[in-house]
Amino acid sequence: MITVTHVTKTYGKKQNSFKALDDVSLEIPSGASVAILGKSGSGKSTLMHAISGLDRPESGEVVIDGDNILTMKQKTVDRFRAEKIGFIFQSFFIQGNESVYDNVSLPLEIAQVPRRTRTQRVEAALEAVELSDKIKNKAKDLSGGQKQRLAIARAIVNEPQIIFADEPTGNLDSVTGDTIEELLFSYNREKNVTLIIVTHDADLAKKCDILVSIKDGKIESVTQKDTGAQS
Amino acid sequence: MKIADITRRAGRSLSQAKARTVLTSLAIGVGAFTLTLALAAGEGSRQYVDTIVSSNIDPQMLIVAKDESMFGGGDEGASLAGTGLREYSETATQYAGLTLKTLSPDDFDKISSRSDVEKVTPTYLVNAQYLTFEQVEDKQYTADVTVYDVSVRPEVAAGTLPDRAQQQIADDEVVVPESFLKTLDITDYDSFIGSNITLHLMQPPKNLSEADIQSLAATDGLAAVEEAMQGESREVTLKVRAVSMQSATSFTASSALFISENKAKELSEFLTKDTEQYRSYVSAMVLVKDGVDPSAVKADLEKDGIYSVTAEDVQGLLFTFVNLLQGIVIGFGLLALIASIFGIINTQYISVLERTQQIGLMKALGMSGRDVGRLFRYEAAWIGFLGGLIGAGLAWGAGVALNPFISDALGLSAGTHLLVFQPVPIAGLIIGLMVIAVLAGYFPSRKATRLDPIEALRTE
Repeated sequence: MITVTHVTKTYGKKQNSFKALDDVSLEIPSGASVAILGKSGSGKSTLMHAISGLDRPESGEVVIDGDNILTMKQKTVDRFRAEKIGFIFQSFFIQGNESVYDNVSLPLEIAQVPRRTRTQRVEAALEAVELSDKIKNKAKDLSGGQKQRLAIARAIVNEPQIIFADEPTGNLDSVTGDTIEELLFSYNREKNVTLIIVTHDADLAKKCDILVSIKDGKIESVTQKDTGAQS
Repeated sequence: MKIADITRRAGRSLSQAKARTVLTSLAIGVGAFTLTLALAAGEGSRQYVDTIVSSNIDPQMLIVAKDESMFGGGDEGASLAGTGLREYSETATQYAGLTLKTLSPDDFDKISSRSDVEKVTPTYLVNAQYLTFEQVEDKQYTADVTVYDVSVRPEVAAGTLPDRAQQQIADDEVVVPESFLKTLDITDYDSFIGSNITLHLMQPPKNLSEADIQSLAATDGLAAVEEAMQGESREVTLKVRAVSMQSATSFTASSALFISENKAKELSEFLTKDTEQYRSYVSAMVLVKDGVDPSAVKADLEKDGIYSVTAEDVQGLLFTFVNLLQGIVIGFGLLALIASIFGIINTQYISVLERTQQIGLMKALGMSGRDVGRLFRYEAAWIGFLGGLIGAGLAWGAGVALNPFISDALGLSAGTHLLVFQPVPIAGLIIGLMVIAVLAGYFPSRKATRLDPIEALRTE
């Protein structure tokens, strides 16, 4: 359960300042798939950063499973991210010079998972994204779709509770994009992992349980897919 | 993140930029090379000095003299280089154009009566006018003659020397250095053993009083005066006992004839008979009893106006030169290191810039800023380690390759090398380089530590 209450984030100082997030409140139940839909500069990325603990808004609360991550020490937030959160980015951010294995193993090393269990988990994650045969390849030799599958393997390897996906299909053609979407949603359903997708793609957003539209730092609407009702 | 994992990742990112890593390491390698050679040369020189000192001076031995200027320490402004104007002293001796105060029989009594002194041996001066060899006819030679030093037993090329230390050769025996035989062109050492050497000694002219000269001239003529003034001459025949081997470390063994102490005393007293120098000596060797610190005796004797140097003093003086030279070379090595520090800083800054996204990602995945900084510092440490290894390795290789030539050129005996490589200082040097590299990597790593992950991951 993620509860965001009255979160405000301001960039710049005095006259030049603008509010990237303006008094945002939101509730995301565990295991839901959520789309944060908005145009470029609407504040959707800032909201993702705030929920994931990468950014620190100056006011408000972000409570995840009972803990307010905005009042945690940096060290605790880092550990929280390492253990509970997975990230997927539009431009993959995989390390091309390193092997597929080392790319996936990085979050486990950061979370100080013992070496013996690491191999097992990396293999399982690669299996889930159907990249087992590429385990020893250099990451830069993969195709775009394979790279994003690798990024998904890296995001799920430490079995997180929340996965943030920032425009996960933005750099992919529609066929490959569909595969990636399918992969994310099935993982969300099977493992009951909260999936938060940040996107400006309305079609992708419609596939999520909850659709949050954001504009000029304010939440425009929150649509529940099941009921179709707006609140 | 665990230290082992950070170290592994640091090593891996270096191996992904091989050319840059190797080039940066080479810069440190130059410093490491110079420093390793300086350490090796310093160690080798010190070992060499040690050998020289121990094969020439007994550690329990003091060289004592009445005149402080003998050791270059005179506070009267006099030294061996020049005398200047000095106050006349009745106990002073003209020696090689210098006026030196001598040790009186009283001084000898004072020293030998001490309970911590084993033995006092004056430095006898035996200036033979010339000497002849039985095996070389019709030729006369000159050479230095000194006392056989029982504490420093030379290696022999032929013949034998007394087995036990502290045992003198017989009074009619002589030990000849190998170099003399080369001058004489004698190759059959064995037949040379047992042959005779004759020393021709001549007393200095006698000082006759004005009255004596006048009375002699009146009775027997000028020729009689000349004859009376002429000192006595004497021939001493000695048997060759052994030929001492030429040594790069023992100086006296390769340059003078050795005779027994008694013989030296007898000849020295004959030569100085009826002169001011009779039984007074410029210097003496004092053997301190085992277990007594020679420098304590030295300090004690100094109160009585008797100055001395110990084996340690001689060693210390030579070490000063070695240390000075080593210091200069180390200075150059350090300069090279300072230059390479900027190389590391530059390389690491570029590395941080190049890997901005990677740093951002690692932070997003929960890696702490401290660990990110550590990653870059460990990379710097790797560079330092590599540089040290390259430099020390090259220096070691060069040393092994050059040592035979250097030993040859300096005439060092077999097995003695000028460049002595020791594992501990080299390991210390490499660790030191790693520490320096880490310090150099501090500013770049701080930049990485402070990098904002949101900024780093912004794509457009």
